[in-house]
Amino acid sequence: MSEYIVEMRHITKRFPGIIANNDVSIGIRKGEVYALLGENGAGKSTLMSMLFGMYEPDEGEILIDGKTVTFHSSTDAAACSIGMVHQHFKLVEPFTIAENIVLGVEPMEKRLGVLPWVNIRKANEQISELSKAYGLEVNPTDRIEDVPVSVRQRVEILKMLYRGAEIMIFDEPTAVLTPQEIDFLLQIIDNLRKDGKTIILITHKIAEIKRIADRCAILRQGRLIDVRDVAESSVQDLADLMVGRQVRFTQDKAAPNFRDPVLEVQNLTVRDEHKFEVVKDVSFTVHGGEIFAIAGVSGNGQEEIADAIAGLVKAASGKIILNGKDITGEPVRERCLTGLSYIPEDRNATGTIPDMTLQENLALREYYKEPFSKKGILQHDAFRRYADQLIETYDIRCAQGPDTVLRSMSGGNQQKAIVGREIEEQTSLIIFVQPTRGLDIGAIENIHRQILQERDRGAAILLISLELEEVMMLADTIGVLYRGEMLRIDSAENMTMQEVGRYMMGVREA
Amino acid sequence: MKKKNIFLARRLTGRYASLWVSVIAILLTIVTASILLLIMGKNPLTAFASFLQGCGFLAKENYGGGSGQLTDMLDFLNYLTPLILASLAFITAFKAGLFNIGISGQMLLAGFTATVLVGYNKALSPFIAKPLVLLIGLIVGGLTGVLVGYLKYRFNIHEVVSTIMINYIISYLTGFFINNYHVDMMTRNSKVCTPEARLTLTNVMIGDMKCKIPLGLIIAILIALLVSFLFRKTVLGFEIKAVGQNRRCSEYSGIRVSRTILISMGLSGAIAGLAGVAYYLGYTNTIIPKSLPSMGYDSISVALLGSGSPIGSIFAAAVVSVFQQGSNYMSSSLGVAKEIASLITGILLLFASCGNYMKYLAGRTMQQTSEIASQGSSRTAPASPESKEAKTK
Repeated sequence: MSEYIVEMRHITKRFPGIIANNDVSIGIRKGEVYALLGENGAGKSTLMSMLFGMYEPDEGEILIDGKTVTFHSSTDAAACSIGMVHQHFKLVEPFTIAENIVLGVEPMEKRLGVLPWVNIRKANEQISELSKAYGLEVNPTDRIEDVPVSVRQRVEILKMLYRGAEIMIFDEPTAVLTPQEIDFLLQIIDNLRKDGKTIILITHKIAEIKRIADRCAILRQGRLIDVRDVAESSVQDLADLMVGRQVRFTQDKAAPNFRDPVLEVQNLTVRDEHKFEVVKDVSFTVHGGEIFAIAGVSGNGQEEIADAIAGLVKAASGKIILNGKDITGEPVRERCLTGLSYIPEDRNATGTIPDMTLQENLALREYYKEPFSKKGILQHDAFRRYADQLIETYDIRCAQGPDTVLRSMSGGNQQKAIVGREIEEQTSLIIFVQPTRGLDIGAIENIHRQILQERDRGAAILLISLELEEVMMLADTIGVLYRGEMLRIDSAENMTMQEVGRYMMGVREA
Repeated sequence: MKKKNIFLARRLTGRYASLWVSVIAILLTIVTASILLLIMGKNPLTAFASFLQGCGFLAKENYGGGSGQLTDMLDFLNYLTPLILASLAFITAFKAGLFNIGISGQMLLAGFTATVLVGYNKALSPFIAKPLVLLIGLIVGGLTGVLVGYLKYRFNIHEVVSTIMINYIISYLTGFFINNYHVDMMTRNSKVCTPEARLTLTNVMIGDMKCKIPLGLIIAILIALLVSFLFRKTVLGFEIKAVGQNRRCSEYSGIRVSRTILISMGLSGAIAGLAGVAYYLGYTNTIIPKSLPSMGYDSISVALLGSGSPIGSIFAAAVVSVFQQGSNYMSSSLGVAKEIASLITGILLLFASCGNYMKYLAGRTMQQTSEIASQGSSRTAPASPESKEAKTK
């Protein structure tokens, strides 16, 4: 018998234009929590997708319990007791929890000897028992669409347990959770380990690895850099290995210097298409030189606040005042000219036109003004010059310079382009929504520095982030949003991370 | 075999990739059509030659009195003119992400209005009548387009649904008026319009040949240049493209999306209106009641074959016109049903729409080739040459 329950030997996987995994060999012992650490695009998810049968490796072999296996699909992998919780949950929303869990392996019976029949009652009972045994309390008859993200994740874990998985892969499981929910999840993972399961954790958050993992493999640019015992490595060591250079964890933050109010939001209410109030009676003020951060769990109305200020959704009631001018009913362009720029959450759906070139995307705020166009005729030279200048200033890496099609650039460089375009407007208010989502440590460092620079220039910054650490590190003032209501607004110094986390869960009296 | 794959792949990933996609689509269509013709027991070479003969590209064996190769060529151009305009109409809406399937209806309404208002007025001189016909085409088509755009942004009615419905309304409404007021009792079509209003000069003697001269062709080429200029050079064109590719981002950038949709649909309809007058007051000179011109749908294949390029669509329209216009002669000389032309156009559309897939395959082949080359002799890649062969087939 091999020492390892899972062994991947000399795995190489190529995609057009990129080698996702280059001769990677790892071995995972039974009953350990094995972390895969790496920046975005380091090849963690690809490696695990091969273990879960979603891709086949170009070279190399996979051994389970010492035997060579070839997976053509995830069904093959599941047959070897491998389960995976994907970053984006794979659940059928209108189905109940139990229906989702048994989907594909339904407890079948024959009614009257012939009629195939799914015994959903039996499934409900089984799932109830299973969820109690592992401390993953769920109500099997709730519909997925009615339950919060953390419960959905439990359902995914139960799905693996129900299928008898012994080897469990978690892909960035904490990205969508609050601090309290993260604590709970890590506890669950610990319980699973005690139960003899083997856990593989894909993450780029070192703090979590320190708390839960036994060993940690570090990947960089598709290559295996090192495998470390977590207990013997410091956070700084791991971070440096992951990025490949010295990393700074904190930003030098000068004392804030508040100026006049730039943005005043008064009793803002926003309704979604079902007339449901997603933002309820929210009021706050952001001054020049202030970073006002809105903390909250995803889907509590943050994006709607940002969109309402930027003019992408209509305010049902309330007032938005920018630089002393009521912009509540103004069109988007008018608001931008009054002094607003906006880094939206979704880079490709909102922030850019992915099939256009970099130079066209960089000019989206300017193309209709001189020198970019004269009397309705575009001046392509001006586009190019402006793009060259921004590529230089913001270190945007692009294969064909200004003519690069935006879609072909990496997420980090797309974000640099958006941030550059918006900062370059030198407006009095900049809205950042999830500015570092999906970026690696190096790029995050850079964007944080730029946010602070803009604050020190005197701009008012509205920062909306799901990363509590980001909020705590950058904010001068924090507002916590829960179900569309601003539960508390206070100076950042007066609130601890735990307190903010509790407000995020809707606890009013901390 | 392998060499040829790389030859094609290099072209499909290069600067003129779109052009090569069209060329390959045409070649594949010819191969497929040949197989069909062989099954029917006809010689494909003769068939394709007769398509070209029917359009004046090749000389026929004999000609009737007062006609010749030039006559056929000008007839071909007479058919080509409205097709170029119709495909430009499609492209203009398509750049804004709108699928204008109502070109047929817009053509019919514009053609009908111009026929009734100008085509039956015998008092007008040609120098007033012809520009007036064009103007009516622009306005009527444009307004129909604007209506579709309005329905889209005001009531969120998808343009495909509204244009199909409007097509029917126009078809039956004009049919009603033609049958009741303007019908020619002999042909059961609408009465022909005056030569003063018609955009094609007929019975022009060139040498001893009686020819038709399509004046609209100049306008079609002019419009192609204008549309090309609009999308390459103007702020409006940039905004239309932005809206077509990402509506949400356009809104975010401050583009007034609803206005842009109205404008591009209006422009598309206006060009379709020009196509309509070039068709009904040029090519046919009469309107068959309650029938939509199939040209409105052919324009979609033309636009696709031309990869959405306004200039490219002139050439793509020529290819489709060869089949459509040449089918008469082909049918009479070979005895194959005329409908084969529509079949070939359909096959062409099918292959042209595989363009992205072709480019994807080519990209992958190039990738593998460069990898194998870079691996060199130090590492042999087992089994990969075979698998490459299999994939690129």
